[in-house]
Amino acid sequence: MTDPVLEVDHLSITYTVGAGTFQAVSDVSLRLYPRRVVGIVGETGCGKSTLAQAIPRLLPEPPATIGGGRIIFRGTDLVKVPKRQLPMVRGTGIGMIFQEPLNSLNPAFRVFDQIAESIRIRHYRDMGWVKSFQGGSAPFDYSKPPPLPTVSETLSKPFLPSGAVGDAARERLQSRSDYREEVLQFLRLVRINDPEAILDRYPHELSGGMRQRIMIAMALSEKPSLLIADEPTSALDVTIQAQVLTLMKELIDEVDASILFISHDLGVIAETADEVGVMYAGRIVEYGPVAEVFQSPRHPYTKALLKAAPAHYKSDGPLSSIPGNVPNLSRPPSGCRFHPRCVLAQAVCKGEAPPLDPVDPAAAGDPFRVHRSACYFASEVPGLP
Amino acid sequence: MSRSLGDLLVFVGKRVLQLIPVLIGVVILTFFFTHLDLVGLCNEWYPHAGKTTLANCEATYSQPIVTQFFQYVSNLLHGNLGASISGVQVYSAIAADLPATVELVLAALFLMIFIGIPLGVIGAQYSGRWGDHLVRIFYLSGWATPTYLGAVIAAVFIGPWLGLPTHGEYSTLVPPFPQYTHMSVIDAIIALNLPYTVDAIDHLILPAAVLAFINMGIATRMTRASMLEVLPLDYVRSARMKGLSEFWVLYKHALRNALITTTTVLGITAGGLLAGTVVVEEVFDWPGIGQYAYTAIGGGSSTPNFDGAIAVVIVFAIAVVVANLIADILYGILDPRVDWR
Amino acid sequence: MVAVPSAPPPRRAESPLRVFWRVLRANPLSLFGFLLVAVICITALVVVVAPHLIVPYGAQQQTGPYNAPPSWKHPFGTDGLSYDVYSEVMLALPLDLSLGIAIAGVSLLIGGGLGLVAGFYDTPGTAAGVGSVSVMRLTDIFLSFPSLILALAITRALGVGVVNVAIAITITWWPYYVRLVRGEVLAVKHLPYVMASRAAGVREGRILLRHVLRNVLEPVVVYFTLDIGTVLVTYSTIGFIGVASKYPGPQPEWGAMLAFYQSSGSINVYPWLVLAPGAAIFVTVFAFSLLGDGLRDILDPRTRRAFVRSTSSHDPPPEAVSALPSAPDAGEGAPSPATAVGAVDARSAS
Repeated sequence: MTDPVLEVDHLSITYTVGAGTFQAVSDVSLRLYPRRVVGIVGETGCGKSTLAQAIPRLLPEPPATIGGGRIIFRGTDLVKVPKRQLPMVRGTGIGMIFQEPLNSLNPAFRVFDQIAESIRIRHYRDMGWVKSFQGGSAPFDYSKPPPLPTVSETLSKPFLPSGAVGDAARERLQSRSDYREEVLQFLRLVRINDPEAILDRYPHELSGGMRQRIMIAMALSEKPSLLIADEPTSALDVTIQAQVLTLMKELIDEVDASILFISHDLGVIAETADEVGVMYAGRIVEYGPVAEVFQSPRHPYTKALLKAAPAHYKSDGPLSSIPGNVPNLSRPPSGCRFHPRCVLAQAVCKGEAPPLDPVDPAAAGDPFRVHRSACYFASEVPGLP
Repeated sequence: MSRSLGDLLVFVGKRVLQLIPVLIGVVILTFFFTHLDLVGLCNEWYPHAGKTTLANCEATYSQPIVTQFFQYVSNLLHGNLGASISGVQVYSAIAADLPATVELVLAALFLMIFIGIPLGVIGAQYSGRWGDHLVRIFYLSGWATPTYLGAVIAAVFIGPWLGLPTHGEYSTLVPPFPQYTHMSVIDAIIALNLPYTVDAIDHLILPAAVLAFINMGIATRMTRASMLEVLPLDYVRSARMKGLSEFWVLYKHALRNALITTTTVLGITAGGLLAGTVVVEEVFDWPGIGQYAYTAIGGGSSTPNFDGAIAVVIVFAIAVVVANLIADILYGILDPRVDWR
Repeated sequence: MVAVPSAPPPRRAESPLRVFWRVLRANPLSLFGFLLVAVICITALVVVVAPHLIVPYGAQQQTGPYNAPPSWKHPFGTDGLSYDVYSEVMLALPLDLSLGIAIAGVSLLIGGGLGLVAGFYDTPGTAAGVGSVSVMRLTDIFLSFPSLILALAITRALGVGVVNVAIAITITWWPYYVRLVRGEVLAVKHLPYVMASRAAGVREGRILLRHVLRNVLEPVVVYFTLDIGTVLVTYSTIGFIGVASKYPGPQPEWGAMLAFYQSSGSINVYPWLVLAPGAAIFVTVFAFSLLGDGLRDILDPRTRRAFVRSTSSHDPPPEAVSALPSAPDAGEGAPSPATAVGAVDARSAS
């Protein structure tokens, strides 16, 4: 059993909005293994974007607070990293792709400059010129931060490194024309056929699909082992969507990364993910291998969600929807958060929230590879219409 | 996307051509408003003049206004801007005074950019919290301070308290080196005269600071507002994800886009700075057009100068028009979506 | 296959006044500005109606001591003519305040009216179209002058006097409103819901009145509030330069007072003479600026949420926003008053 790339344990995130607080994410746990894709699916407002942004600590910390839990990436708990050291964490190992390609590429800079920037940062880190966050097996000891250099040390250090390190540095720190080769290499990686043509272009001159690929290239150019994709295809046409998804699946093997894929589109998740977690009102209500979860769902919400999605080849009768409303997360329902809208709801559902337990009690092994459901009446779900 | 150098020239050229009708309108309008009350004009403008001057004045201004206008324009095109009542040529006076004001305005702009814009960034960064409130109080105080109040307080209280001079460009009336540009600091640098350079800078600080403080508000507020629009966007998050420190995320990625809208207020800022020079130069005895305008209008107890006043109004308007032009060009350069053809 | 979202939660309707109040409270600076403006206006009213309540001495009343420093009897001291500076400052308040409001108001009416018409009836080729183009050209030319300079020149031409100065400033001020209002009208005219009204058959005039005017009103109110301060500053600057009313005279005015005291050359020795009217101007303009700046943030639909959150500049996720009752928006895509007002600011006076 290989070590997971990412371990999220019982993560809770609270937002302080105005006078009230508000549980965006409650007690979410994930495991992401090398070269696997884990999908998180749910409606708008279920907390999946919050979760995605919280993992690399991208959430603005004043309104958002990490209430509890651990995010272990490469052996270090990211929750405990102090704010000032966060820039070190990001970029070395975690890459992120966003939904709106136009907004995620800086409109004022050319394509070449944006990708070259990421490459340059990686080079600086490899040189040790910029403090980088070394993960690895030994966890970071927060009680003993690295000692700051004394003034005399700083003064005695040459501004540019010398000797062997200096030579290596000079070799790596390429001129703009040398960066060009590496940028082109990454653009080809994302299957852009004529990369030279777009090097000097601005983002607004390119199509949505092209921009999305460039964003993927930008994220990959820092050689991450974890890629978080926050609704990467939601703003694209269906045909482009298919291309990008194929690209991402092929990249996992080429680049040796894992993907955490967030989407509200069940079809996309079904195609791309290996395991899926269904989120509702900030909680994961069902988790497991994607084929099992989608073909035999064991949570009333998942079942209703699947039923609500229209099947394109049929046109019999009205669309079904889930009665009721998404709960107000500043005062979530007690116990199971879905109970006000659930056909199987009983008194026990209002009491304690059902744990995410394996559907098959006899199943053994890693809970994160097994089909689990957070419902007291999981066994009755297959019988629902 | 045509954004080559040749395209830029076309871009600039088109806009310069659009200036011309505006400039014509400026001259017409100035003429109209200053010749409003022809009957009482001579009495108004030269209240203490002798009989012969008044008679000459009335002879000139009793002609039909259209004739007067064409006379004025033809004088203008020959470089004759008229003279004051004591015979000082307006053209030479303005030409002599202009560089000093340019220096003052540039110094104020420098302060506004390097203090005002970072303050706007800070205000956006800490929006809604105390950093934002402090920034707001700072720039609103500048806005609320009338120029003369700020200038007088700076000259009478702050100057002596900080030990900064409050009169003129240098400590001596005429510096011991030739003045090529008539800009105090630059002349001193050209002459490689260090003590006088320091002296010139000392004299420049207070008036420039007063001008900057009062007019900083617009730039700060605009920067803050556009930063607030830019900061939630995904590319700022992408920049953070690359591992850039917060400083670079703000000042390289976010500000570069926020500045685009800030350039649109450059023209208005120029107007405010120029209007401010009238009072600031008078209080600080800075030999620029502002002081010339002050006396030409008849500020304090000076003798009004009709021709001078007209010329000054036109010059200021031209300066504002040029500033708007520069702002327009800057916008076209900074915003990559603007096509230069 | 897309997950079909269920219906959004119902929102409690909140009256605009409650929203206004809540947001005002969330931003302490705006609240402070609002209170300060209220205090100033009430004080001005009292000075006009019942001066004996807060103004101990009349205008140009000699009180005995000359150039006395501030004391209990004379909070701002006395000047070289032994007038009580505090009384003079107070007596100038109604004039300066009403001048600011009047000039800004008249400019608003003239400029706003022109801007509305120019914006709405600007189809090229028609008589109205040609008219609106010429109005805009004229406005552009006017806007090339720094207000102060042009106002000074006009005042000189018209002659010294309070009314003349007011007229001069108004002449230089209305173009700003034309540009502001016309910009807003143009932006609103092409909003989807306006076009929808037109398609539904609503009469043009009614559209103009209900939809366009309502949207235009927000940035105009913000701008007007800020303008009161700016006009006041311009008026006193002209007074300072000595081209407006003369001081000492039967009706004190802050700028003229400053000019008089400064020219008497004694401010190093008697600083309160300069500081008192200066502080009065500063406080008044600052109050209106605080209120206007705060109003701008309140009325901008984007930063309005910033105040409902009142903690950071970053948008909360959709879950957070949907949990709050939202005040009626003018509709997405409406230009924010912040940028509209920002682009037209007339702070070119001093």
